[in-house]
Amino acid sequence: MMAEDSHASVPLLEVRDLRAGFQTDQGLLTAVDEVSFVLGAGKMLGLVGESGCGKSVTARALMRLLEQPAGRVLKGEVMLEGRDLLKLPLEAMRQVRGKEVAMIFQEPMTALNPVQRVGRQIMENLLLHEPLDKRGALRRAVELMEWVGIPAPEQRVNEYPHQLSGGMRQRVMIAMALSCGPKVLIADEPTTALDVTVQAQILDLIKRLQKETGMAVILITHDLGVVAETCDEVAVMYAGRIVERGPVEAIFKRPLHPYTKGLMACLPKMDHPPKTPLPVIPGMVPTLRDMPVGCRFAARCPNAHEESVTGWRQPWKECGGGHGVEACVCFAKEVETVGEIGHASEGNRIDEKPIGTDSSGASEPTRAHGGASEGTDSSAPDGEIRQSSRSEKGREE
Amino acid sequence: MSLLSVQGLKVHYPVRGGVFHTTKAVVKAVDGVSFTLEEGETLGLVGESGCGKSTVAKAVVRLLKPTAGQVVFEGHDITKSGAGALRTLRREMQMVFQDPAESLNPRHTIGQILEEPFVIQKLGTRVERGEWVAELLGRVGLPEGAANRYPFEFSGGQRQRIGIARALALRPKMIVCDEPVSALDVSVQAQVLNLLLELQRDSKLAYLFIAHDLSVVQHMSDRVAVMYLGKIVELAPVAALYRDPRHAYTKALLDAIPVPDPAKRRERKLLTGDVPSPINPPEGCAFGHRMKHPRWKESVGMDLTLKEVAPGHWVQPCPCCVG
Repeated sequence: MMAEDSHASVPLLEVRDLRAGFQTDQGLLTAVDEVSFVLGAGKMLGLVGESGCGKSVTARALMRLLEQPAGRVLKGEVMLEGRDLLKLPLEAMRQVRGKEVAMIFQEPMTALNPVQRVGRQIMENLLLHEPLDKRGALRRAVELMEWVGIPAPEQRVNEYPHQLSGGMRQRVMIAMALSCGPKVLIADEPTTALDVTVQAQILDLIKRLQKETGMAVILITHDLGVVAETCDEVAVMYAGRIVERGPVEAIFKRPLHPYTKGLMACLPKMDHPPKTPLPVIPGMVPTLRDMPVGCRFAARCPNAHEESVTGWRQPWKECGGGHGVEACVCFAKEVETVGEIGHASEGNRIDEKPIGTDSSGASEPTRAHGGASEGTDSSAPDGEIRQSSRSEKGREE
Repeated sequence: MSLLSVQGLKVHYPVRGGVFHTTKAVVKAVDGVSFTLEEGETLGLVGESGCGKSTVAKAVVRLLKPTAGQVVFEGHDITKSGAGALRTLRREMQMVFQDPAESLNPRHTIGQILEEPFVIQKLGTRVERGEWVAELLGRVGLPEGAANRYPFEFSGGQRQRIGIARALALRPKMIVCDEPVSALDVSVQAQVLNLLLELQRDSKLAYLFIAHDLSVVQHMSDRVAVMYLGKIVELAPVAALYRDPRHAYTKALLDAIPVPDPAKRRERKLLTGDVPSPINPPEGCAFGHRMKHPRWKESVGMDLTLKEVAPGHWVQPCPCCVG
């Protein structure tokens, strides 16, 4: 169960170019598009975004738990220690769920069975995956409940979910999820339904258990405060796509994408003068039915840019230190500045790679949007970005 | 005279059971709450779930009848008002609810929803009411065409704007906002908060603003009251409360807020346990009891009425939590 520090940087889970959606009356709606990230053992990745941005769909697609019959994983790879979970036979996938990858949900009251004692629910996973008999599983369930900080576990195993408070129910969920020592825990808004004081307890618990077991955690949340306090890395999602990702310090210190900036600005802060207007992100998220091909944030973006940004796919830029961003022309100038200031040792170079191919081995022809986006792979758009950033500079001065 | 003055408000519910349906216990949802609200002012009300925030809100607008205490609005004690007097009163006090999806009738158009207050109050002709609805939609930043559409056609933020427009319809002096933004995303939350601030500036509205997000409350309020288990434990001007909290519960609550800055990560003192049940709450200071404070016993039998420790800064004077 214990983690070895030497393994901390080896990618445990690698998601490449994931696309998932739903077959509906109005045709196929793509909810998650070209999502790629890497998760090292013992790391905590925050997946942030507003409702409908595809955070939960991403998580469910990883587990192959998209709602049936409408849910579809359309493309991509989910590599867990070298195995592609999306290609596993269903039986093998059942062995992975609960044992190697476990999940906890936002509302523990709906995720738990209301007519079964909580002890039995924890035992279910143990009996399925571990060589234990019923008595052994019960004993293990009591130990697990004690481990996650439930007082008087010998009595609690015999109680029903409605007899427990919200915080205790979430602890039961965590005990269930961790019962078989998973390598990856996916926590989908685990504290959203809880009070701040209980939220602090649960986050503290997840961090403690992570330290003890060395598991990796994907924390899905809309709360940037929670991310800042708990995560190592962040991926910001907007309208089904990751627009920016990187180490938590870098993202909070120097957010690059206008959406990330807007998201941080519109939080009421302790030092913001009270009762004065907050900065807002105007407008609304585009609907799944009419997603622009290019920059999906263009309609709400405070920066000025040409119409064309919605017409062709924006390139992904790595700016060193693992900080990457979907570099729309409207702010590409700044991306270069960061490259110069933050990573001067790397010779001011910014790697430009198409989305989804920034990890080795990903195949080139996995791009989706046909001719219009092909051009972005060549060196041409680089020049174009520089050019337009110059003209923008001119506008500002 | 204050716009609203609440004195010793109590809302108790009997828990019945057994063969003869006798009262087994009493839930003291709100147990002796007093505060005032001035014209154009915002009083924030914070606390964990189950502390009685929403019950206070409902008692203030007389959506439920308090067990004891007074709610004086513009000189009238509304706890004693009859149905007719209440109808007149509701022109002056309105409420915005947490979940805009559930507080709007799904079978009514937005026009019908916004017209209803005028119909109930028998105001205006059909044509006039139509004009007023259009004006309301404009004030909350929705297109005029919205009047012919149904609630499901709108996003969460827009629905909350409709809820606010409905509350504004009769030009009230006070609006009770019960968790108005907690169901909304952050970017939309900022839009709705800005709208509430703008409306307050324009028409000198008073807000009783209930939320569990302490940074939202800080942004919106002039004064803040902290509730714990049916009682107010601290009430102070917003700056004083956040800079210099006196009660241990306020301190714990403020300490639990996640700060969106990874550079400020810190070891927190975690509050243990959950809010105790308001059925037969402990004697004396309930928070001291939860923390198993050695001096909790001293608070039993003490007079725990709020004491003024600085101008406008009121704290429950229990020896275990204030020191």
